[in-house]
Amino acid sequence: MTTTFPPGTHPSADDPHVLLDDDYGLYEPIPPYPPRTERELEFYTPGDGEMYLNLGPQHPSTHGVLRVVLKLDGERVVDIDPVLGYLHRGVEKLCENADYHQTISQLDPLEYISSLFCEWGPVMAYEKLLEVQVPRRAEYIRVLSGELNRIASHALFMGWFALDLGGLTPILWSFIERDEIVEMLAALTGQRMLFNYFRIGGVNGDLNHDFLSRLGDWMSRAAGQIEANIALLNENEIFVRRARGLGVMDRETALRYCMTGPNLRASGVPYDVRRAHPYSIYPEIDFDIPTRSEGDSLARYLLRMEEVKQSLRIIDQCLEQMPDGPIMTKLPRLLRPRPGRAFAALEGPRGMYAAYAISDGSDQPFRLKIHDPSFIHLQAVGALLPGHLLADTMAIMASLDPIMGGVDK
Amino acid sequence: MDRALKARLEARFGTALHGEARQRYDETELRIGAGDAIDVLRALHDEPDLGFVILADLAGVDTGKEMQVVYHLWSQTSGDWLRVIVEGLSRDDPRIASATFLWKGAEWMERETYDMFGIIFEGNRDLRRIYMPPDYTSFPLRKDFYLPDDAARSPGAGVRHMERTHSPTESGETPLRSGTGT
Amino acid sequence: MTDDLTKGRQPGTTAESTAGSTALTVPGSTAVAEPIVVRNELWAAADPAAYDGGQPAEITHLAKLEHDMALRHDDARWSGMLEVIPTKADIVLDLLRANSLWPLLSGLACCAIEMMSFATSKNDIDRWGAFPFRASPRQADVLIVAGTLTTKMAGPLLRLWEQMPEPKWCVAMGDCTCSGGRYKRSYSTVEGIDRIMPVDVYVPGCPPRPEGLIYAMMKLQQLVKDRRGHWDERAIGPTVPQDI
Repeated sequence: MTTTFPPGTHPSADDPHVLLDDDYGLYEPIPPYPPRTERELEFYTPGDGEMYLNLGPQHPSTHGVLRVVLKLDGERVVDIDPVLGYLHRGVEKLCENADYHQTISQLDPLEYISSLFCEWGPVMAYEKLLEVQVPRRAEYIRVLSGELNRIASHALFMGWFALDLGGLTPILWSFIERDEIVEMLAALTGQRMLFNYFRIGGVNGDLNHDFLSRLGDWMSRAAGQIEANIALLNENEIFVRRARGLGVMDRETALRYCMTGPNLRASGVPYDVRRAHPYSIYPEIDFDIPTRSEGDSLARYLLRMEEVKQSLRIIDQCLEQMPDGPIMTKLPRLLRPRPGRAFAALEGPRGMYAAYAISDGSDQPFRLKIHDPSFIHLQAVGALLPGHLLADTMAIMASLDPIMGGVDK
Repeated sequence: MDRALKARLEARFGTALHGEARQRYDETELRIGAGDAIDVLRALHDEPDLGFVILADLAGVDTGKEMQVVYHLWSQTSGDWLRVIVEGLSRDDPRIASATFLWKGAEWMERETYDMFGIIFEGNRDLRRIYMPPDYTSFPLRKDFYLPDDAARSPGAGVRHMERTHSPTESGETPLRSGTGT
Repeated sequence: MTDDLTKGRQPGTTAESTAGSTALTVPGSTAVAEPIVVRNELWAAADPAAYDGGQPAEITHLAKLEHDMALRHDDARWSGMLEVIPTKADIVLDLLRANSLWPLLSGLACCAIEMMSFATSKNDIDRWGAFPFRASPRQADVLIVAGTLTTKMAGPLLRLWEQMPEPKWCVAMGDCTCSGGRYKRSYSTVEGIDRIMPVDVYVPGCPPRPEGLIYAMMKLQQLVKDRRGHWDERAIGPTVPQDI
C-alpha cells in the first residue's frame, strides 16, 4: 500500500484546468508515472510478448466513455485495466447543495436509459426519512411506468448486445420498440428520456388519455412484437454460437463481486430485490423471477428477454388493479426531515439501485450516496475477460449492460 | 423490523458496538470503531447463523467532525438491511482496513470512497483515483471542498429562501453542521 | 403629508437598503436589491484576457479573410479567383458535402441515446445521407458532441477534433455542451464545449428531441452551403486557441 497524501494539506478549491496544451502524456496506455499501487505494478509489467492496447474513451461500441487498457498476448486478452471517470459529473456533491425536490431531477441522468429507477431509489429513501405514505394509485403508476421503462431498457440491451457482436439489424428493431415506449412515457411524463416524473410522496401527473390510448395500442401487439425481436436473435446460429460460453461467471464469483440483477440471476442466484426486500406494491403482484444457471452471455441475454415477458405480466396486472385516488400526498414545499438516515433499494433493469440518504434537519440532504449496479458490474469484467479474444471484449461488456452515466455518476 | 436480529447482534458483538443497535423500518444499524471493523465484518460474513454475504453498498460520509464508512449488508437469515457504520475516523488521516478480502467487489467502491474523501483502505491492492484524473489533488466530497462557482456569491442569486443555497460560506456559520442524527 | 407624496418612492432610499450594503431587502418593498459582485479569484481562464476588460471575442469575418487570403492554404477550398466568384463547381462541391455529412460515433452521455434514436428507423438520418456513423475520426465530417463534457474527457475529445480532417463542423448537442447545463456548478465539467473547441450549431434541450437534432443537421447543411467553402468562418469563444 503505497498511496499516501500529505497530512493536513487539502486545498479546497482546486482548479480543474482543461488540458489544452499538448499534454497527452496522461492518456498513454502506460502511465508516465511509476506505478502507485500493487495492481498497477502487476498490470503495467508486460510479460513476454505481451502488448498494451488502449480501447480509448471513444470507441465503436455504444457503451459510452469507458477506457479499457488491454494487455494482449497476440489476440488473447491477458488482463484489463478499466479507466473510468470520463463522465464524472459530481452529482453527489451537487445534490448536497440542492433541496430534496431538486435532487430528483439531478439524479435522472445517472442511468439515463432507465431514469425512472434512478429517481425511485432516492424518492423511497426520502419517504422513509419523512415518514410519508404514498397513495396506492401513485404506487401503481410508479410500478407501471417503471416496468415500461424496464422493457425499453432491455430492448435497448438487445440491440446493443447484437451490435457489439456484429449484427446491425437488431439495434434498428430495438430502437423501434424503444421509440414507441418512450413516446408513451413522454405522453405521461412530458419527456422522452430524463423523465423527472417521480415526486416525494407520489408522482407528478396522473394517467391521461394520450398515454392510455398509446399503451392500449402497444399492449395489443407487444407480445407478438417482442417474440419477433427475440426470435430474430435466438434463431440466428452465429449469434447463439458466439454468445454461448462467453464470459462465464459462476455463482461464487458473482457473489464475491457483489453483482445484482440479471447478471446475478444468470449465474444461478435467485436474488431479486422485488421479492427479497418487497417495496411499493410488488407483494400484491404475481410475477416470476427467471433464473438461469449457465452464467454466460447467452444466459444473461435470454434472462433479460424473459424479464421483458414478466414485465408485460406486471403491466397487465397494474392496469387491472389500478385503484382510484390521489397521486401525491400533501407535503410542504420546504421539506425538512428529521435528522436520520435511510437506505432504500430497488430492482432496476441492470441490478439493484440503492440510495442512502442522510438528513441533518435542514432542507438539503447532508449526504446522498447512490449505489449503482453498473459500477459494480464493470469490476467483474476484469474477472471475465482474461482468456477471451479481442473481439469478445466489447461483447462481454455489453452482456453485463453497463451505462457509463451510472458508472461515473 | 427484525427484533430477533437486534438481539442476536447485540449478543454476539456486545462490547464492540457503540451503543445499541437501532432499528427503523427495515434497517438495522450498528456502530463500531475503526479497529473492530474488520473483525465484525468477517464475523458477519463467515458465521453461518449470521451469513451476511451480500454487500449492497459501501459509502463514505464526512460529518464535518469525523469521517465514517458505512456498509450495507444483507443475509438470508433476516429480512432487514444491516447498516454497519464505522465511525471515528479522523478527518486528517482516515484509515481503515479494506474489505476486499471478503468481497472483491468492494475494491472499486473503496477506490471511489478514497477518491471522494481521501479515506485510505489498508489492504486494497488498487487504491488509486477512479473518477478524477490521476493528478487531481483534492477530495471533492469532503465538507471543506466548496464548489468553485458558488451560486450564493454570484449576482444571479435570488432573494427568497428557496433561491439561495445554504452552503456554509453563505450562512457564515462553521462548516460543521450540527445534529446529523448520528 | 404633501411632501411625502411629491417626493415619491425612489429605489435605494428605503431604510433597509441604506442600513448596510450587503443587507437584502425583504420581499414586499419596491427597492431593488443591489447585486453583490464578488470577483472570482478561484478560477482563471486559459486565456488571461478572456473574460476581463471587455475585450471582444475573436470573430472571423468573410471580409477579413478575403483581405488575408495569403494566409489561407490548401484546405479543401478552390483557391484563387474562384473564391470570390461562386462557380457551379463550388456549388456542387458544397452540395456534395452537405448531403453526406458523416458524423463521428462519439456519444458521451444521455444525448447519445437521442442521437442514436435520430439515426435509427423512426427519425431516419439516412434520408440526409448521414447514416454512416464513422468510428474513426479520420473518416468523419461532423463531430456531434452529445453529452456532458468533463475535464477528464476534454483532452481526448480535443484530440478527436484535431484528428478529423478538414473540412469539419461541430454540433453541440444538449444543454451540457452548450453551456454546462445542469452541471454548470460542478467541479469536474467543462461549461460548454465552446470553451475548448469551435462550434457551428448549438442544440439546446435536455436531451433535445431527435426532431430537434434533425433541425440542427438541416441548419448545418444550410450553413455548409452558405459558407461556400469557407467552412471555418464561425464565431469562436475567447478561450479557444486560434489554430484549432
